Amino acid sequence: MPYDVTFERLETQALHDLKGPREALAAWAGDALPPFPDQPNTKTEAGGATLMFIGPDHWLLRADLTREGTLDAALRPAEAPPEISLVRVSDTLAWFRITGPDAAEVMAVACPMDLHTSRFGPDGAGFTEAFGLKALVTRCADGFDLAVEQSFGPMVADYLTRVIS
Amino acid sequence: MMQIPCPFCGPRNESEFSFGGPVKPPRPDPSAVSDEDWTAWLTQVPNPLGPVQEQWWHVRGCGTWLTIWRDTRTHDIVEAPDGGR
Repeated sequence: MPYDVTFERLETQALHDLKGPREALAAWAGDALPPFPDQPNTKTEAGGATLMFIGPDHWLLRADLTREGTLDAALRPAEAPPEISLVRVSDTLAWFRITGPDAAEVMAVACPMDLHTSRFGPDGAGFTEAFGLKALVTRCADGFDLAVEQSFGPMVADYLTRVIS
Repeated sequence: MMQIPCPFCGPRNESEFSFGGPVKPPRPDPSAVSDEDWTAWLTQVPNPLGPVQEQWWHVRGCGTWLTIWRDTRTHDIVEAPDGGR
């Protein structure tokens, strides 16, 4: 029986990889960033941007592609102090949005991580595996967003098509 | 399949990790040990029947390197990175 889900490949997202002490990043970026998430593998959202806490001293800033230039100008990567790193990585990930009543079932096929709401809440965001690939998983309205390395995009699109049909 | 306790992410599937090998004893001074001992340090890998200290890399997760004690007979993780069990 097919799953009651739909998936779409999202357009490229504006992404900035942020590394370094939280205090130093906050001091450098100022109001350009949403508040820093406190818990590992969670996210915060503000002003159309999402900040994901994906590793020790490691965050990923996500926004619509139209905001990439604005964020670049605000973050000034080339002028950043040496204790922090800000790198634009928008082109590295292919994004998929999986929504519908059975979205969690499809994600359970793809991903070994426990994605029940009790363990991976509405603010959940982190790297794990999907279809054996390193993947960023985060919740969205009525489902999940999934991002894999750009070159695996067509393959994951094919996998998702097979899973839901 | 093992569940490996990542200090950042919590318990995660073994498939998210890459094995980094057993923890070797500290590197001896080559000029202060015998050739036999030096060769042993270079070439022999700890492979006990029982607990062994290993390094793992959370390569498909947060990128943390961690050290655990794993029992080679049962795959039980007998000591987690934070010293817990």
